[in-house]
Amino acid sequence: MRTRNTNGLGLLWLFALLSLAIPSAEGAEKIGAEEVMKRAYLAEYYPGDDMKAKVLMRLVSGDGKERIREMSMLRKDLQEGGEQRYFIYFHRPPDVREMTFMVWKYPRRNADRWLFIPALKLVRRIAADDKRSSFVGSDFSYEDISGRGVEEDVHQLVREERLDGREVYVVESRPREARGTEFSRKLSWIDKTTFLPLKEEYYDTRGDLYKVFSADELKEIQGFWTITRRTMKNVQTGHRTEATFQEVRYNLKLSDTLFTERYLRAPPAEVR
Amino acid sequence: MRRVAILKLWTPILLGGLVMPSHVQGFSLHGFVEVAGGLRVTEDSTQPKDLVLGEGRVQLEVSQEWKAGPRLFLKTDLLGDVADEAVKVDLREGYVDYSPLPNLDLRVGRQIITWGTGDFLFINDVFPKDYISFFIGRQPQYLKLASDALKASLFVGPLSVDLVAIPFFTDDTVLTGKRLSFFDGLTSQIVGKDASIVLAKPPQTLANTEWAVRLFRQFGSYEVALYGFKGFFHSPLGVRDPGRHELFFPELAVYGGSVRGPALGGIANLELGYYDSLENRAGGNPFVENSSIKYLVGYERQAQTDFTVGVQYFVEQMLHFESFKASLPPGLPSRDEFRHLFTLRLTQLLRYQTVELSLFVFFSPSDLDYYLRPAVSYKFTDQLTAVLGANLFGGAKQSTAFGQLEANDNVYLRLTYGF
Repeated sequence: MRTRNTNGLGLLWLFALLSLAIPSAEGAEKIGAEEVMKRAYLAEYYPGDDMKAKVLMRLVSGDGKERIREMSMLRKDLQEGGEQRYFIYFHRPPDVREMTFMVWKYPRRNADRWLFIPALKLVRRIAADDKRSSFVGSDFSYEDISGRGVEEDVHQLVREERLDGREVYVVESRPREARGTEFSRKLSWIDKTTFLPLKEEYYDTRGDLYKVFSADELKEIQGFWTITRRTMKNVQTGHRTEATFQEVRYNLKLSDTLFTERYLRAPPAEVR
Repeated sequence: MRRVAILKLWTPILLGGLVMPSHVQGFSLHGFVEVAGGLRVTEDSTQPKDLVLGEGRVQLEVSQEWKAGPRLFLKTDLLGDVADEAVKVDLREGYVDYSPLPNLDLRVGRQIITWGTGDFLFINDVFPKDYISFFIGRQPQYLKLASDALKASLFVGPLSVDLVAIPFFTDDTVLTGKRLSFFDGLTSQIVGKDASIVLAKPPQTLANTEWAVRLFRQFGSYEVALYGFKGFFHSPLGVRDPGRHELFFPELAVYGGSVRGPALGGIANLELGYYDSLENRAGGNPFVENSSIKYLVGYERQAQTDFTVGVQYFVEQMLHFESFKASLPPGLPSRDEFRHLFTLRLTQLLRYQTVELSLFVFFSPSDLDYYLRPAVSYKFTDQLTAVLGANLFGGAKQSTAFGQLEANDNVYLRLTYGF
């Protein structure tokens, strides 16, 4: 199943154009919550056929101590909305510098993950669970980085409103399977124009708010609206992570072979 | 000595690298500064010092890359060693990477080579190890020693072929009594600082070049590999002259394979290796390691958020056990036909992964011995890390792998600043 399905992308474009063509957002077509979340999933995690970016994460603790994660990231979609490959090369901090991390993501099962430790020249498999593991000690989970399947939750359109001057759908999502999921309820503010999430609130199993996501900066890059600065804040611990995406490029025609053990062990020049 | 001698050749290049401004395209300089200390916490009458680890270390990593050309990589340790009362320079790695063809990568020079699926258990990773560093609490990277080698990696469709030629022999750093006491099979007693062992390395000839090969392919989520090796045991598992305590490195061929992939919500691995002891094929020479088959099965999964559990079961089967038993001179310690070994790894990350609690356990139900490696690490900042840990050994008999180390229990502390 390595054929690239561009229909989804085409649809996305069509919707984007449609929403632009309609002068007032109030008059926007009525769509269901599930459909909103499907489009949001594609808009956030699948723009372009592939992507390259430099990601800078600032991890700030409640008492203001700051840590930095700097990495280069490559992403390639095998199917729109389906299988994906990620390649991450760490520049900072010193203890993870030159480590490479490769993910083969599947729609309905745990991703395959490999980590290369250069000091030992060792390729490890990572047994981490997508849903509950923090990505490099940040407030983002693996799932926040590579997406949570829309079908894993039940979605309900709560209301439509304006957020920071943008028309949004507010959607409530509850996991179909409570087991193994950190949140019991999630609220998403989905921009009607770009279908990107502008804000998300995560409620824990006790029903208390614990994580808040915000899209702090949106840019249109090669025709794809992209969240170039985002924050995930844990309101219970005060810890937050700000991620900035720089040098974002889409549709570089990345080769499948980049996402193999060869380059895990010897990262290609384009990420170093 | 060889390491130091070769370093002299590299020094001008290394210094040349250091004086280059760091903004030069393709150049990078990194490394760490570390102080580490470790004390023996058990009484050992064979050792005058309780300091098993006491060192200040600077590791410098220099790389220079030319656009679409080769890449030079050097990693050198400067080390002040209080336990040995010596200042040392160690070229850990020094190699050039070059790809003459799109599907061919070459690496020439001093390089660490790692393959296989075991976690601190090695079957097809026959490359040299420094067990002393492992036992006294140095960073895990010091368990692996580099080989002076040429590695060619060829990529044909989904298949990778690694071919390694090692013309210069590097032996494991094994127990010789210097820091840690051990069991001397020839005298059947625990010996320490006064142990006298002569190690006879294979002569440096072209015919003694070691060869290693790995065929690797991924089938979906599963990694499958076949391995071959022709060379020498890297530990001195042969006795040439029992009177002089002269040990040597017998010829060895290894054939093996491994599979690794997802299973039961975690990662499982299976690895096998047939060790053909070429100088003792009939198995009737008790002074040369017998042929064996080694089996490993492992499983790791995340049990809770930031808590991971890994287990392994390892079996080593001596292949000519009857011949070994029949030829064993009276008074020498015998061995079992099967050695069984379990390992357990527990890792708990806390406080946004700045605190790591870990425990690694080796336990052999056949040897009735164990080795525990508890550790706590704390990242003060992105640069500064402290690790407090221990190495605890014990067993029912003095002659087993971990039982012989019983008097070497130690506690260590490392403080590392990376840049």
